[in-house]
Formats: sequence, C-alpha cells, structure tokens
Amino acid sequence: MKSLLDFLKGKWLGHPLHPILAHVPMAMWPGALIFDLLSQYQIGGNAMVRLSFYAIVFGLAAALLAAPTGLVDWSGIKKEKPAWKIGLYHMSLNLTATLLFALNLALRWRTFRDASEVDRIPLLLSAVGTLILISSAYLGGRMVYEYGISVARMSKKKWRKLATAGGADLPLE
Amino acid sequence: MKDLLEGKPLRHPIHPMLVHFPIGFLVLSFLLDLVSLAFPEVPGLLRGSFYAMLLGIIAALLAALPGFVDYSDIRRDHPGKVIASRHMILNLMVVAIYGINLWIRSSALSDPKISLPPLLLSIIGIGLLSVSGYLGGRLVYDEGIAVGRHKRHTPTPQDTLHLSTGHAASDGEVTFVPVPNAEQLGNGETLRVEIDKQVMTIVRIDNQLYGFQEFCTHRFGPLSEGSLHGFNVQCPWHNSCFDIRTGKVTNGPAKVDLKTFKIETRDGKVGVLLIKDHDQKT
Repeated sequence: MKSLLDFLKGKWLGHPLHPILAHVPMAMWPGALIFDLLSQYQIGGNAMVRLSFYAIVFGLAAALLAAPTGLVDWSGIKKEKPAWKIGLYHMSLNLTATLLFALNLALRWRTFRDASEVDRIPLLLSAVGTLILISSAYLGGRMVYEYGISVARMSKKKWRKLATAGGADLPLE
Repeated sequence: MKDLLEGKPLRHPIHPMLVHFPIGFLVLSFLLDLVSLAFPEVPGLLRGSFYAMLLGIIAALLAALPGFVDYSDIRRDHPGKVIASRHMILNLMVVAIYGINLWIRSSALSDPKISLPPLLLSIIGIGLLSVSGYLGGRLVYDEGIAVGRHKRHTPTPQDTLHLSTGHAASDGEVTFVPVPNAEQLGNGETLRVEIDKQVMTIVRIDNQLYGFQEFCTHRFGPLSEGSLHGFNVQCPWHNSCFDIRTGKVTNGPAKVDLKTFKIETRDGKVGVLLIKDHDQKT
C-alpha cells in the first residue's frame, strides 16, 4: 500500500506526478474549445471537428490518470491548513469539468465523423468546462506557489546539506 | 513590466501556466501521428496533427517570454540556475525541431499516415520536451523557483556577496567584518552574504540593518528572497515567519529559531559582528 502511495506521489521519478499529468487535460480541453471555435468559423472543416473530439478523449484519459495522484497529494495536507480547503475546491472543480467534458463527448459521438462544424450545445459545454478547468488549475497553482505544497518535499536532504554547510541553526534530523 | 511577466498581480507565475499549452498540443499532435499509423483509414488525422503542432509552437513562443524573465531573476549562484539553463536550451531546441517538423509535413496533409521523417522529428521533439518539462518541474518542486515570489515587493539578490574574516579586526572572541554593500540597501531590500561559509541575509527595515541566517529552519528555503511584514521575515516556500530582531519563530511550520547576527557601525563602516561559537556542533 505504501509503495503504491509513493508511486502515485512520484517519488520514483523525483518529481510529483500530479502536476505532470495535469498538463494534458489542461491543454487538451481548452484546445477542444479552440478547435470548436475554429470549426464555427469554417476553418479546418471536419478535420477540426475530429481534432476537437480526439482532444477531449485524450484529455479524459489523462484526467482519469491524474485524479488518483491528486487525491494522494491532497490527503497529505493537514486539514487545518489553508491549502486543504483550496485542494477541496480544486478537486470539486476538476470533477465538474471532467463530467462536463464526458457529457460533451457523448453529445458529439454520433456527428463528429461527418460534421463540418461543432453544434451549439457541445460548444457551450467546451466553453463552460474550460472556464471551470482554468479556475481549478489556477487554484492548483496557488497550492504550489502560495503554500508550497510538494515544494522541497523530495529535495529536503539536499537543502539541509546546504543549510548545514551555510552554518545555519537547524532542527535535529 | 517585469512584475507583470512574473505574474505578481495574479499571485501566480505566468510561465508555468502557459507551458501547459505547448506541452499538451505537441503531445496531441504526436498522439494523432500514432493514431494515423494504427488507423490510416480514419480521415483528417494528419491535418489535425498539423493544426495541433502549429498551435503548440505558437503557445511555446508565448510561454518563452515570461520564461526568460523568470530565468533572469534566478540568483546567479542558485543551485537551480544550471538546471534552468538546460531547461531553456532544451526548449529552444524543441521549438526549432518543431518548426522544421511543421514545414516538412505541411506539404503532405492529405496522406493517410505519417511518413518517417516528420514522425522521427516528433519522437525526438517529444523526448526533449519531456526532459525539459521534467527539469522545469524540478526547478519548482526541488529548487523552489518562483514559489512565493509574488509576496516579495523588492528585488531579490542577484548574487551572493562573499567576504572573509581574514583581514577583519578581531579581539579573539568577536570579529568585525565590514559589509560595504549594506549601506546602499534600501528599505525592505536584502543582501545575501557569505562570510567564511556562514551564509546570512542582511535586510534594512525602518532604516536599521538586521542580519540572520539565510536558511529557513523548516525546509531550508531562502530567506533573502522572503517577504517582509514589519519586523517579520516570511519564508517564500511554506510561509514560516521569524522576528528578524530576535530570530524567534512567530509562525510555523518552522519550530526552531533563526541564528541572528549583530550589525554595527565601526569607524564609519557598517559590518557584521561574528562571535566565536563555543558550543559548535560538529
């Protein structure tokens, strides 16, 4: 069990796993919105409609992979820390965005092979989903850049060495 | 302008926000190439791959600008600077390779499956991009680059000032080491100083100079890049706070107080008093 958790935290890689995986849906789904809009302006035709469809599929696949890694990172934050609450919002928004894009995919399943532009409702879902996703990603970034979640978690020893060499007062190991 | 590109108004660095797009779009392009190999009967794959790549290159160029600004703001002797240089060089190579890739495939958009030269370029491109993205992540998660940076309102030290007790006036117990640059410090500005391996931050607050150890006692983050709130310095990484006059922890997660240094003026020179450490831990 512990080795599975360590795997999901990215210890084997020396880099937290969640922010790596999060890049894929974070680009695929706003990308789908861009492709939807381009198709509305008659750019790219059916290739653009298909491109948007594939972007949503790949995004969903990556989101499902990213979810357990995020959950593990979040479970490591103490409940009384402000980052815990942000993590909760981040997770809820991600779930919402994922559901919206899953619905979005279902709605375009029948038409994407031939359509030369994306319908109104899937387009709207792409726009709403993207907005939610961007807000969520911003919160995810805030957890790192404001509260230092996962920062110096794996490089702790290296920094301790530097601090010791620099004559600092330190806690006992 | 620099603050804007560093994302200070957003309280979030811009470069790591924008890099999602080149990474995602270039991965999308590569996946579509692979799909075209497996299912050549599916129409429009290579056209889609081309559009994704084009968008990826545009997004990469947009991300480069705040990236350069972030790079230039890393202290010259920061252990992350070397990684940052490699990250930048790899990214420039990736953009160049994808530029060639885009140009080569632009004439074969209606092919059923991807031909070898552009596919190879995509494989190399994705490989380099993965390494570069990994290094970029290490910059944040190992080196703490850009973490908590938006909380700081004055420029951070660009270098460490190396001094020595060698020629300093000493009366056995106490050594006075002049720090010439300390006099020019503005309010809320910091110096990172190393005197015979002892690394410290010197800061001016309320026209008074204070010295304390550079490394936070929690995860050893750089206090010379911390933010100042009254007489408190806040670590940029996990927000531990210390009173700079006494070194006492005023807010966790740190539990151990900072070592402080006395700053004095002797014969018109500003300097640090180093007191010989009798109970030195070995």
